[in-house]
Amino acid sequence: MATTPPTSGSATPSARPGNGLLVLLAAMTPEQLKRVFANLTASFAAEDLIIASPDAISELIPADAYSSLRIVSAPANNPAWTLTAADFLNAYQLAEKNEARAILMLSSESGSLGSPALRELANAVLATTDLAVPCYDLPPHAGLVNSAILYPLTRSLFASRVRFPLAVDLGLSLRMAKCLADAARNFTTINQGDVPLWPVNEATVAGFTIEQFDVGTCVQPAGPDLNTILPLVTGPLFSDIKAKAAFWQRFRSLPPADNSMPLSLAPSTDAVADIAPMLSAFRLAYTNLHEIWSLVLPPNSLLGLKRLSTTDAAAFHMPESLWARIVYDFLLAYRFRTINRGHLLGALIPLYLAWVAGHINITASGTAPERHIEAVAEAFEADKAYIVSRWRWPDRFNP
Amino acid sequence: MQNNLAAMLQTSVNQTSRPVPADNASIWHHMADALQQSFDRILSLLIAILPGILAFLVSLAVFGLIGIALSSLLRRGLTAAKLDEHLAHGRGNSDWVPSTSPTALIARLSFWACILLGLIIGVSAFDASYATATTLPSLLLPYLTRVAEAAVLLIVGTVIARFLARSVLIGAVNEQLQYARFLSLGVKWLVLVLAATMALDHLQLGGHVVELAFGILFGGIVLTLALAVGLGSRDLVSRSLERHTEHSGEHSATPSAAPTTGSDDFIRHF
Repeated sequence: MATTPPTSGSATPSARPGNGLLVLLAAMTPEQLKRVFANLTASFAAEDLIIASPDAISELIPADAYSSLRIVSAPANNPAWTLTAADFLNAYQLAEKNEARAILMLSSESGSLGSPALRELANAVLATTDLAVPCYDLPPHAGLVNSAILYPLTRSLFASRVRFPLAVDLGLSLRMAKCLADAARNFTTINQGDVPLWPVNEATVAGFTIEQFDVGTCVQPAGPDLNTILPLVTGPLFSDIKAKAAFWQRFRSLPPADNSMPLSLAPSTDAVADIAPMLSAFRLAYTNLHEIWSLVLPPNSLLGLKRLSTTDAAAFHMPESLWARIVYDFLLAYRFRTINRGHLLGALIPLYLAWVAGHINITASGTAPERHIEAVAEAFEADKAYIVSRWRWPDRFNP
Repeated sequence: MQNNLAAMLQTSVNQTSRPVPADNASIWHHMADALQQSFDRILSLLIAILPGILAFLVSLAVFGLIGIALSSLLRRGLTAAKLDEHLAHGRGNSDWVPSTSPTALIARLSFWACILLGLIIGVSAFDASYATATTLPSLLLPYLTRVAEAAVLLIVGTVIARFLARSVLIGAVNEQLQYARFLSLGVKWLVLVLAATMALDHLQLGGHVVELAFGILFGGIVLTLALAVGLGSRDLVSRSLERHTEHSGEHSATPSAAPTTGSDDFIRHF
C-alpha cells in the first residue's frame, strides 16, 4: 500500500457518516456480473452495500445471486473504455441520493480483481483516504500509453507516484466524489460527458489523500485502436494540465517510492514483438510529417528524430530525454495552439510508436520494462524546468 | 462687323487649304492651354470627390474612436464582472474554443464591428457626396465589392485547403498509406481549384470557359486520386480482407497500433 501525502492542508475525515458503500458498476455481461457479485459478497456484509448498475440485473442473472443485496439502477451511459465525466457525476448523485459513505467504481472487467483487492480499495475510502487507486500487474507490453505519457507526465508535474492515473476501478470518498462531480459538470453542461477526468490530478490539487493498492493481474477492458485512443487520452490530459498550470509550476517533491507495488524489475521473459511495422510507420511519418513536426519541435529534437530515422531496427531506441522533450513540446503546442489540436495529437502517434519500438528493443535486450519506464519518468522530472520555463516565456530562444 | 467676319472666314479657309509653317510659340501656347484645361478638369473632379473622401475618413476616424472607447469600456466591465473566470469552468476540451480570453475576444470584436460600421457608413457617404452624372462610380463600386468578396472566397478556400490537406496527410500517414503526401496534395488542389473557380465565377470573368476548365480539372484530379488510391491500396485491401477472413467470427479485444502484422496481439497500448 502506498500513500501519497496531501500536498496542502486538508481536513482528515475520521468518521464518515452514511449508509455504507455505493458500488457503481459499468455495463456488464451476466458472467461478469456474477463474478463481481461473488467477490463483493465475499468481502462485505450485504447490508453495507448499495449496488448501482445500468443493467437490468433481474433479467441477466438469477435472483439468488443477488437476493441479499440492495440494488439501485444507475443511469445508462454510452459504453466507454474508461471512466468519464458523466460517470463521476452519476456516482456522486447516486451516493448523495442513497446517503452512501464512500463509492467504489468498477469497470466491466473488475470481475478479474480478487476480493482482497476490492476490500482494500473500499476500506481505504471508508476510512480516511479520499482516493484509492489500483496498481495493476500488467504484462510487459500492456498499458503503453500509460507508461509513455500518462504516468511520466502525472509524476513530473503533479508529483504523484500513482502508476495508473487513468485507472478504470477507483475508490472515492464522498468529498472526492463531490470534487470530481464539480469538475465533471463543466463537461456535462456542454455535452462533453464522455471526456475522461483525471482523479489523481484533481485529488492532488485539492490536497486530498491518495493511496495506491496492489490489485494483482487484471483483464483490461477493450478499447478503441491507437489512432483513436491516443488523441482521446492525451487531449483531455493536456487540457487538464493547462487548467492546473498555476498548481504544477510550483516545485513539489516526489513522495518516496513504495516497494510493495507489484511492478516487476525482473527482465521480461515474454516473446519479442515485431517492431518493423512501428518503425516503418515512424519512417513514413518522418518523410511526410517533418513539416508539421518542425512547427512544434525545436531543431535539436528534429535532429534527434533525423538520427533516429536512419537507425537500424536492432539498435533502435528513442532516448528518454528526447521523448520527454517531444511530449513537453507537444504539450506547449497544445497550449499555444501552434497548429490545430486534432492535427497536433495525430502527429504525435508516429512518435509514440517510435518510443514503443525503442521500449520493446530495450526490454528484449534484458532490461526490465519497469526499469525503463522509471528511467522515462525520471527524464520527464529532470526536464520539468524546461516546460515551466517555456510555459511562462514561450518566445525565448529555443535551439 | 461684316469685314471682320469675312477676314476670319478668309483666314480659316487659308488655314485649311494650305499648310502654314507652325509657330513654336503658338504650339506651346496650345499645349499649355490643353494642359491647363486637363488640370482644371482633374482639379474640379478632385474638388467634387474631396468631400466624399473627407466624409469617408471622418466616418472611419469617428467610428474608430467609438470602437476604442467601447472596447476599453467592455474590457473593464467584463474584467470587473469576472466573465473569464465564470466561463473558464464551462469551456471543456473543444478544439474550437478560442485561445484568447472571452473578455479580450468580445472587446476586440466590438472594436472591429465599429470599424466595419465606419467603413460601411463612409462608403455610403462617399457615394452620396460624389453625385456626378458619370456612370463610372456606380459601376466601379459594386465591382470593387465583388472583388473584395472574391478575395474573401479565395482566402477562405486557401485556409480550408490547408486544413484538409493536413488532416488527410496525418490521417493517411497514421494509416500507413505510402501515397499520403500525394493524397494530401490532391485534396489541397481540389479545394483550391474549387475556390478559384468560385472566385472567378463571382467576378463574372471567363464565362463558360471557367466552368468548362473547372469541370475538366476537378474531374481530372478526382480520377487521378481514384486511380492512385485504387492501385496503391490493392495490397492494403487484400491484407484487410485476408485478416477479416482469418478472424471471422472472432471478437478481437486488442487495440491495434495501425495496420500492423505480428505485434497486434502482443502489444496493448492502453
